[in-house]
Amino acid sequence: MREEELPYKGIEGIPIIKEPGSAEKINRGSWRLVRPVHHSEKCTKCKICYTYCPDAAINWTPDGPTINLTSCKGCMICVEECPTDAMTEEKEAT
Amino acid sequence: MQEFKSIRDLPEQDYFTGGSSACAGCGPSMGLKLALKVLGPETIIINASGCMTLLPLYPNTPLKASWIHNAIENASSTAAGARHGLDMLGNRDMNVVCYAGDGATYDIGIASLSGAAAKNERIIYICYNNQSFGNTGFQWSTATPYGSETKTTPRGKDNPIGTTVVNKNMLKIMGAHRVYAATASLAYPVDFLNKLNRAKERDGFSYIELLGACTAGWNYDPRLTVRISKLAVRCGMWPLYEIENGVLTLNKDFSELKPIDEFLKLQGRYRALPQDGVDRLQSLISEHWTELKEYNGLRYV
Repeated sequence: MREEELPYKGIEGIPIIKEPGSAEKINRGSWRLVRPVHHSEKCTKCKICYTYCPDAAINWTPDGPTINLTSCKGCMICVEECPTDAMTEEKEAT
Repeated sequence: MQEFKSIRDLPEQDYFTGGSSACAGCGPSMGLKLALKVLGPETIIINASGCMTLLPLYPNTPLKASWIHNAIENASSTAAGARHGLDMLGNRDMNVVCYAGDGATYDIGIASLSGAAAKNERIIYICYNNQSFGNTGFQWSTATPYGSETKTTPRGKDNPIGTTVVNKNMLKIMGAHRVYAATASLAYPVDFLNKLNRAKERDGFSYIELLGACTAGWNYDPRLTVRISKLAVRCGMWPLYEIENGVLTLNKDFSELKPIDEFLKLQGRYRALPQDGVDRLQSLISEHWTELKEYNGLRYV
């Protein structure tokens, strides 16, 4: 439901965030010590990395996963859970 | 109702984006991401104060669904109010979902939760259980299992066990309200989302409890979140079952449980737990598991 359809026109003084998913542009990549690297030749497209990513930093395309390094905090769940070693970790340049 | 068979069947759209301030490898934030796949953007999430309150920090939000934050004790009453308001406006399709931690469910919010469940309000209550008051620095809650070290129950000379109180059986409490109550795990997302789908179709109160592994509090390497969640199920620490109309169904049945050591040794909060503490925890878990096996398919509460 859009705001103009609501019977109450908003209450003064309560912070209301109007743009959905606006945190996507925030760079959390600086938290990372290691980064995941995807190797498409080993990938079986099982969607395990995509399902388990807690920050939705792995997007799904018909060709397999793509990693959004702005959102990736480097937890390495994808590397740990990948059954075919198609995800490997690489040290971030400091 | 659509039943998911494997991870490949799960919906491809996400209503949760990155950029939140949750820890790397956060279990509850993964749970919310998975839940929104089934719930969709037509959802109001009611949050009780806790870790997940810090997801939308003004003026940014990682969510593509509505979000109300209220005090820690009244998430269920807020949800019931939102449900009644929507019903008055003729909006039956909007999902009203509570996403609250175990402190807000087991301890502080149990009065309003019990009230909403007894009145069978049409809401879904998801408790992300990280077995402590995680947001304030891992203090003891009644969901903390026996033997775990917390900030308020530290291990020492006088008390080598840490938490000596046995945690509440919340599923039994909720099952006794004659609502749909189920446990879920992050390591079994298909099972979790099927349960959520089922809760969404129901015309009444549903309670789903998700074990949200907490990397900072449980003190383990963030990469092990899913592995620890899986071990919790395999060791019998977190059995997956559901209770509907008082009848228990065990969703993941194993002929033999793994020894609890495998779950404990990965986590810092169980470091230095003496052997008699491990044995007591193992006997508590075995007792619960035997009870569940015995009542599988039968009237439990």
